[in-house]
Amino acid sequence: MRTIRMLAEVDAALCTGCTICDRVCPSLAIVTDRKVHLASVDADRCSGCPACEQRCPEGAIHMVVREKPFDIGVKVPPEDRERVDALCRAARFHPEQLVCYCTGTRAEEAAAAILQGAHTPEEISFRTGIRTGCTVECLQPMLRLLDAAGLKPVPPKGGWQWYGRTVTAWDIPEAVKKRYAERGFYFDEDIEILERVVNAPSQDP
Amino acid sequence: MRSPIPPLPPRKSQYGIDPSLVRRRVSELPGITSLLAKDLFPELPDVIMPGPGGIPAVRRAAEAALAAVDMARIQPGHTVNVLASHHGFTLLGGEPYAEMLKAIKDVIQSRTGCKSIRLRAGVGLRFRETEEYIRRFGLDRHFGDGKAIGIAPIDQAIPIDTEIGTLYGIKKAYDADWIVHAHNSDVREVHFHRQVDRAVKPFGMSYARIETRSTYHQNLGPRAANFIARAIFDSPFVQSKFAFACFLTMSPNGIVGVDADRDLYALNDRITRSGCSLYGRMMTLFGEIDECIVAVDFPCPVVYTFAAGVIYANFAGANTDLYDLELPLPAYTWYTEAFYGRAGRPLLPEIPSLNPAIRMCVHNYAWTGYPSAFFSEHIPTVIVGREQAELFDRDAQNSTYTRHARILDTTEEAMAYARKVTGTDKILIFDGAFGGINLSEPLADLLVKRAPEVSRRVDQELLPKWLRQRGIPIAA
Repeated sequence: MRTIRMLAEVDAALCTGCTICDRVCPSLAIVTDRKVHLASVDADRCSGCPACEQRCPEGAIHMVVREKPFDIGVKVPPEDRERVDALCRAARFHPEQLVCYCTGTRAEEAAAAILQGAHTPEEISFRTGIRTGCTVECLQPMLRLLDAAGLKPVPPKGGWQWYGRTVTAWDIPEAVKKRYAERGFYFDEDIEILERVVNAPSQDP
Repeated sequence: MRSPIPPLPPRKSQYGIDPSLVRRRVSELPGITSLLAKDLFPELPDVIMPGPGGIPAVRRAAEAALAAVDMARIQPGHTVNVLASHHGFTLLGGEPYAEMLKAIKDVIQSRTGCKSIRLRAGVGLRFRETEEYIRRFGLDRHFGDGKAIGIAPIDQAIPIDTEIGTLYGIKKAYDADWIVHAHNSDVREVHFHRQVDRAVKPFGMSYARIETRSTYHQNLGPRAANFIARAIFDSPFVQSKFAFACFLTMSPNGIVGVDADRDLYALNDRITRSGCSLYGRMMTLFGEIDECIVAVDFPCPVVYTFAAGVIYANFAGANTDLYDLELPLPAYTWYTEAFYGRAGRPLLPEIPSLNPAIRMCVHNYAWTGYPSAFFSEHIPTVIVGREQAELFDRDAQNSTYTRHARILDTTEEAMAYARKVTGTDKILIFDGAFGGINLSEPLADLLVKRAPEVSRRVDQELLPKWLRQRGIPIAA
């Protein structure tokens, strides 16, 4: 669960319609009208991260405190528990593993969102709040979970939200591991730790 | 009793409270003394800052180091991006790093005739931070109008083919014929990089897009993560642009000098050796502390506040040997944090707890812009001032930070409360004091007493192991 306290607001007098804000918004809450060169925020979709405000070259976006903060999040229905756990483990996450350090989103929540119809990183962000804190560190877990669910999302057209999935520990070529083993990189030992986490028992009864 | 070292004044920034709201520094309270790092470890190198030479000494060191670097490939009509990172601007107030950046620009221009030299300053999770430093230190004026900019990991990407697949850099970092890697050897996040390829790390971090940074922190594992940086740096794309590296060389007692090299791995070996030896010594000493109150009091996020070069995040793991690569998971790193389950306990029994010597943390002054709730959740924390608490409540990265903390109005109240609840009179202040540490007298006594044995242990037992694990010859 994430409490959304902030909202992005566009100062129309300063906005030049450069579109950077809508290219970086993780929940697709901001759109630039290219005819009138003006960005506008969908307050119902804005998750309160400051990505647009932080990248606006004109200083035309401000984060304001919402009059009515609200919570977002996805619960794991008991009937979905087995499928959620299986999806997490297929993506090589423990279901309880944190996948977003800012919002405290766990793998099981992102997995449940996927099973409930969130089929892109942006939709997972909108439903769970993941990637609406720093907006940096939690992209790959979403892409791994989507991939494990058999989904092939494509990045938003013209956007900079994301570009692609990348390597995991399990994909490192043996030749690379061997070449750098003497330089302090513990590839196989880390895989062993990651797998033990994936298979660790749940903390809840 | 030695007087406290005056800490860096509060800094106006969108990530911190207004400086006028920082009414008291912890080092101003009665009973606080200071130790110079060299008093603890006389074997630490001599430094040029702090020292009588001041900023001009940094300029001279940079020019001397750059004199030995071959710049013949840079032609007058070429473009050069000097790549910088936010962290350098937290060292001794930031001016030394800014001066090194200015010197790099001036030397390239005078040696090569190249006039299109730009500054691209990367960030952590505070996307405007280097924009603030660029203005503060006059880098915009020095590099010329529009040539000095901050870059952020959500800016437009450029795909980079590496031997482990496609990774992504920030396009503006690489939009020049040549790049110069301008960094420093301060150890900082040893919990992340483990002093493995420390010199290379910005290629996987402050010059990198979110895809890459997320790979580092989520996909590879705690001791393999920094390979991402090496993979990018070794790519044909980056190698085709890499001109040279120039580093401010650091020790827990200050700035040792400037090192520059066209061979980044040669430079990396040098700073791996010095990092293990110098910072490893201080961190091992901090591991000897049996109990204390931590006070954070510096213009940067909670985890990055530092004492004698050791950041709070690393003191939170000082109950373990962060340099020992046989230890998979430090007490704090993002992988460790990820492996705490819903009940707030580690998913694996061998995951070490946060340093039990930290009985309480008094958050007197620190910035937002880094997810810090893990600390307030697991270490009793007192925040000074409602304004500061409200700032954290509004920060998207810290929406639950204050939920686990107590808020008191003044520094005096907070420290008195911490003393009363914990019963300890040992206080360690993370305020970035230049050249040493501000702390309480009982803690100073303990550190002075333990330092010689720590020194012996590092030299004779730990350092040989640390270097062997990293493939670095023990003899320089």
